[in-house]
Amino acid sequence: MTGVAVPAKCRNCRHFRNDPAYLEAAIKGLSAMSSAWGSVRADDGLCLHHDRYLSAEASCRDFQAEAVTAILC
Amino acid sequence: MLSQHFAGNWQRYVVQFVLWAAAFSVALSTMGRKVREFLPAFALLYAMSLAVFVIGQWETANFYGFEAPLVALLLGLAIANTYGLPRSFDAGFRVEFYVKTAIVLLGATVPFTLIIWAGPVAIVQASIVSLITFGVIYWVGTRLGLDRRLAATLGVGGAVCGVSAAIAISGAVGGKKEDAPIAITLVILWAIVMIFVLPIVAHAFNLPAGVGGAWIGTSEFADAAGIAAAQTYANMVNTSNPAGGTGDQAVLAFTLMKVVGRDVWIGIWAFVLAIVATTRWEQGPMGRKANAAEIWWRFPKFVIGFFLASIIITWVTRDYSLAEHNREVIPGLVAPIKDLRSWAFIFCFLSIGLTTRFRELAAAGIKPFIAFSSGVAVNVVLGFVLSAYVFATYWTNLSLAP
Repeated sequence: MTGVAVPAKCRNCRHFRNDPAYLEAAIKGLSAMSSAWGSVRADDGLCLHHDRYLSAEASCRDFQAEAVTAILC
Repeated sequence: MLSQHFAGNWQRYVVQFVLWAAAFSVALSTMGRKVREFLPAFALLYAMSLAVFVIGQWETANFYGFEAPLVALLLGLAIANTYGLPRSFDAGFRVEFYVKTAIVLLGATVPFTLIIWAGPVAIVQASIVSLITFGVIYWVGTRLGLDRRLAATLGVGGAVCGVSAAIAISGAVGGKKEDAPIAITLVILWAIVMIFVLPIVAHAFNLPAGVGGAWIGTSEFADAAGIAAAQTYANMVNTSNPAGGTGDQAVLAFTLMKVVGRDVWIGIWAFVLAIVATTRWEQGPMGRKANAAEIWWRFPKFVIGFFLASIIITWVTRDYSLAEHNREVIPGLVAPIKDLRSWAFIFCFLSIGLTTRFRELAAAGIKPFIAFSSGVAVNVVLGFVLSAYVFATYWTNLSLAP
């Protein structure tokens, strides 16, 4: 088995949160007339490091890979 | 009378509840939601919906303008903003889920030929209004000193599809954490005001049903709030309508304008603004490359369901003459689907009220309020002119006949 580095994008960063339930709790009013489950959100989420709402495809120099990394067998 | 009705029909309601609960449970479980949290809340929602239908049949309430959608909304708002319900009940108050279900069911009652005929008009009218509304909000916002990302989030929220647009654009341009909640607060406040104001004004102006629906579709930002306003106007039109048209025309015109004319373009708005944000605006510590695939990622997929439902029903009923359609298809197929749609609408309207807790909304600030309200004012006036004058012929003659 070989551990591989994941792309340095927000979706793989430990500071990034894009779970729909988390976002609905964090973004006031989101579920009143919409939701975090709709496709318009794509995979966007909150960066807890920069306090920004970002695309999962974004990246920055403060990237830190999540604890769980992809494994190739 | 009421007790007699429920004594004679209680089995029907039980079966209907079970069918709704089963269908929604399957759908939600495929999305990874917890059905055991959903079911108790949905049971309460269904019971409240029954009460709303009863009040909606009350002529005295209708006389004073308390149509079923408004009753549902007010009842929900009253509960949510006084004693409230446990937060866990939000699992069953899924506004977006119910409104999308209702719109797909609406598609099943609309001939596809009508969508082809009226769709381009809706797109042209919606594009004019969306571009100008966005321009006004963005221009006023940046002149007032707002950050360009916040101004863009407010602009598309007002111009396209409300809360959903705000969240999509904030992510596309990499806005601050507080940008989307500010836009959401303003969208919700104005959307709720418009639910009450637009149908009353449309009725006061005696707008034909299709024209009123198109105006609401151009002037409301959120799908759920817009449907509430359009359905309220539809009920008013069905009760008294000197200008002509049916309630179904109002709901259909709204849907074409809002869903086909505005919602489907959110991916393009997000893609274009992502390009602008990454190439023209000052960069923060984060970077990204705009990706055209975003147009598809953000495409509201329920619109495909709306089109598919229309295509399937149109194909299934293609060999019926107009007389046969009126005699067999409408009572046997269209009417039951419309009945289900009415229930989905009421679930949605109640859920809007039950999840709108004013004290929990983010503080918006005066500058965002002025910028957004400027767009609302332009939006409402321009939408009226386009619906009631420029494209009035199309909306007045919107026909549901195949």
